[in-house]
Amino acid sequence: MGIRFYEEPKLKDPVLIASWPGIGNIGIIAVNYLRQMVKAREFGEIEPWDFFEPRRVLIEGGLLKELEFPSSKFYFQRTVNRDLIFFVGEQQPTETGTPYPGGRKVLEIANLVLDVALRFGCRRVYVSGAALAPIHHTARPRVWAVPNSESLVSEVRSYENTVLMSDVEGRGGQGSITGLNGLLLGVAKKRGLEAVCVLGEIPFYLQGLAMVYPKASKSVLEVLTKILEIEIEFSTLDKMVAQVEQGIGHLEEQFYQQTPPEVAERIRTWLESFKHKPAESRPITEEDQKWLKEHIDELFKRGGEEDDRPL
Amino acid sequence: MTDLFRFSRQPELQNPSLIVGFSEDAGELAPKVIDYLNEKIKGESFCEIEPSEFFSLGGVAVEDSVAQFPESKFYCGERKDLLIFKGSEPQFERYQFLQTVLDVAQHHCKIRELYTISGTISSIAHTTPRSILTVFNQPEFQEKLRGYGLEDMNWEGRPALNSFLLWAAERRSIPGVSLWPVIPFYLAAVDDWEAQKRVLEFLDERFALGIDFSDINEDVVKQNEKIAQLRTRSPEVDNYVQKLESNLTLTEEESERLVREVEEFLGRKD
Repeated sequence: MGIRFYEEPKLKDPVLIASWPGIGNIGIIAVNYLRQMVKAREFGEIEPWDFFEPRRVLIEGGLLKELEFPSSKFYFQRTVNRDLIFFVGEQQPTETGTPYPGGRKVLEIANLVLDVALRFGCRRVYVSGAALAPIHHTARPRVWAVPNSESLVSEVRSYENTVLMSDVEGRGGQGSITGLNGLLLGVAKKRGLEAVCVLGEIPFYLQGLAMVYPKASKSVLEVLTKILEIEIEFSTLDKMVAQVEQGIGHLEEQFYQQTPPEVAERIRTWLESFKHKPAESRPITEEDQKWLKEHIDELFKRGGEEDDRPL
Repeated sequence: MTDLFRFSRQPELQNPSLIVGFSEDAGELAPKVIDYLNEKIKGESFCEIEPSEFFSLGGVAVEDSVAQFPESKFYCGERKDLLIFKGSEPQFERYQFLQTVLDVAQHHCKIRELYTISGTISSIAHTTPRSILTVFNQPEFQEKLRGYGLEDMNWEGRPALNSFLLWAAERRSIPGVSLWPVIPFYLAAVDDWEAQKRVLEFLDERFALGIDFSDINEDVVKQNEKIAQLRTRSPEVDNYVQKLESNLTLTEEESERLVREVEEFLGRKD
């Protein structure tokens, strides 16, 4: 079990920005986009076989040419104002016998990522993921932030379009971040590193769907680029945002056409209600979850069956 | 964590070749070949991989009215150049399981080569000679086994456990080959004696085992006679087999019908 380095870049006080896949792939899209925009170079990877199953084999002419595993790669770039290290994990290790992230391996991989951060002199880590929120998909998502030390709270409060997760109404200062996007915060704290998790809001009725939500990734990136003092071009991401939003609208309309008018109207009204209170800051209630289960899941599932455009 | 493997005795081996077969296999080909081989070399178990790290032990599965328990055992017999492993496919920690297999084989038994066996389903007729598709982990080893009538495989997709093992062996510089004898799809749920025989013939030639094939030959002849009877009795089955013999494709419905008829006539194993 280990890390393979292709080169040993000389970096000055770099910041680590990390992400793994999660709901809507919000964090990983944000980190990958930023990495590509600043043209970061790959310099190492975590050896995958202790953590993941191989997902593809290539056999040619009777020879085993390649066994492909989910990758966990490190990249670096020196920008004008700051040196950066990126970590992008294609998959989270799962708890033995379950499909969910967790267990000994999750802790091991978090420590390996931070080993690299410390080796190159990192003192600050950003990690990114998703926050389920009662917002409409046409609204601008905010960013929920969670620092790993009290000394970072006032700094985090100053970020634009950002709210502390513990300030979200009804949470009573509590909250949780599942998987490695959250665990890294805790492990970083244990190892003396400052860390902040930035979570892009995703409409809660889109949870559980196999779709990306780049709109929230953009919100995360707007915050991160400001903190890191980097200017990037958003046009490619904007195109993706428009495409996904159009896709969601298309699914919604398709559903209304196939649903009895009175039910369609109720759902339309319910969804519209989130359009008009984008600034409301509260977690998902049990009532919301119930409604979601009864009606909205069906909305996107049914639509999705007949629409295979990428989302 | 418990010890991952347990020796019951020290084997007497001299740089053996490791032959691996997992129980979960098309037509149960691998376990059948391994059992046959073990019988021929009077193989006895001397080491076992402990199941607790690799299998769910919340209970036992019951198959054919009998309680099952995962077993992963190494065998050796009269031949000092053969090490045999027969095991259940691990449910968890597959990489660690394969590393354990290779640890025992490499560090305790000093193996020189690896051979894995698994059946692969094909849309051939049972009257077609069985070929063995192969995957090697080193071109030198592939070259070494030219002349045994093996065929090269081409494939891209989800890896089988044997491919994972082959890859792990290569990382230790152990030359290895996966043998994939083809099985007609309608014999997948019954014994395909011909395919078993084809693998055993290869192993017999490779290791000069001097196997007397009269017993398995008898099984092959009996099975072919029974299918011939079925073809006479059912023109439909005969038509399907003829199509396959002419390299024509059956529809899904025709394939299902053929499978059902053959299984009913020959008797399913499960």
